[in-house]
Amino acid sequence: MTPTISVGGLTRRYRGQLALDDVTFDVQGASITGLLGRNGAGKTTLLRIIAGHEFASAGRVAVLDASPVKDEAVLRQMVFIREDQAYPDLRVRHALRVASWFYPNWNHELAGALVADFALPLNRRIKKLSRGMRSAVGIVIGLAARAEVTLFDEPYAGLDAVARQVFYDRLVTEQAEHPRTVLLSTHLIDEAAGLLQRVVVIDRGRIVLDAAAEDLRGLQTLQQIVVDASRPQRERIAA
Amino acid sequence: MTTWIKVARYHLVDRLSYTAAPCCLLAFHFALIVAIFKMAGPTMDAPGGVLHDQAFNLVVIYVCFMILGLLAIVRSLPFGLAMDVSRRSYYAGTAALAVALAAVYGLALTVLQAIERATGGWGMDLHFFRIPYVLDGPWYLTWLTSFVGLSLMFIYGMWWGLAYRRWNLVGLLAFGAAQIIVVTGGVIIASQVHAWPTIGRFLITLSATGLTGLLAALAAVLLAGGLSTVRRVTV
Repeated sequence: MTPTISVGGLTRRYRGQLALDDVTFDVQGASITGLLGRNGAGKTTLLRIIAGHEFASAGRVAVLDASPVKDEAVLRQMVFIREDQAYPDLRVRHALRVASWFYPNWNHELAGALVADFALPLNRRIKKLSRGMRSAVGIVIGLAARAEVTLFDEPYAGLDAVARQVFYDRLVTEQAEHPRTVLLSTHLIDEAAGLLQRVVVIDRGRIVLDAAAEDLRGLQTLQQIVVDASRPQRERIAA
Repeated sequence: MTTWIKVARYHLVDRLSYTAAPCCLLAFHFALIVAIFKMAGPTMDAPGGVLHDQAFNLVVIYVCFMILGLLAIVRSLPFGLAMDVSRRSYYAGTAALAVALAAVYGLALTVLQAIERATGGWGMDLHFFRIPYVLDGPWYLTWLTSFVGLSLMFIYGMWWGLAYRRWNLVGLLAFGAAQIIVVTGGVIIASQVHAWPTIGRFLITLSATGLTGLLAALAAVLLAGGLSTVRRVTV
């Protein structure tokens, strides 16, 4: 069976800095995979390359067995919500309307329900929103798009605990009713632990752990696992 | 609905920029010229007067189109690509919008020019929408030249925006410097091979239709340049 997301030997170099170093992993079928790691570990770069927003220095990425940069059909089945999304001077309702044109599985009812959940002011300009509200706009788009491949990069930056719980609940419900491949990058590790079916830990551009969440449960907290997984490489670099 | 049309619609959600801004700027400039004309009297528009045969009256709308092209990339590209549109489709959709807007605004300029002619220059022999030689022929030629010129400026603005998005400020400066080098190089070569008399003869004999054709060829070159730049743009 062809993996939904396939990454092989992916390397991304910026001037004098190795952001991703020979990253290889596959994501198969409908599931929620957590992409975990510290700040600057390479999570955002990896997601940007998978979404086709950035280019790799070496290696390959395939989403639904095609290149995300070139294949328009693949792009239509993928949504990428990023923490630092820049919006033009639009109102919230305009951004949602635009998104509804581009995503073929867009669900207006779900979008409306999420807008109510997050108490989003539809007529307010996005640039006037608080950071949390801007994150909520991204979450509404990410979930209502019902895209086969959904990439969330720290989607709840600035959101309060109640709003984050709304996101978790909605994600679980959506996943049960409309299964899709979700790749969720976060550093609120223990908070999201219950959602994840698989865990990929990235540290300094390298995958240091790739395991089913079930195999990790009961050992220690997921946060401790991530810290431990990152430690050998940090120690090696320090040595 | 094709992706191109969706991209064009996405831009038009910001109606203020694409409709009100060019109209208001043009109206403001027109009102300013009329006010100056009224204050200074008809001698301003007499041969040799400040306002006579001003080729720059309509520059404001052409500059406005260039800025719109720039903003269509610098301001709107990140969210456009976040909608998982390919770079090529985004570029094509934005260029299609440029062509459609140029057609509409070109028509508006043609109508305003016709009114200007019919009213004897707004009742005061003012030449605002008539640019000698360039926009002074039959209505269809006025429309065609306006259409091509406005498209060209929008596409040129897009290319500047793409240069900024791809290479940031340093790249933008290099992009500008490269154009200066090309133009200066052309001037030097023309001087060295003593081509200026030939170029002068060519320009004198060039008709407005020929000029429009040249502008269209330049627009095609700029379009191709932008397309080659957008392929590796990141957001």
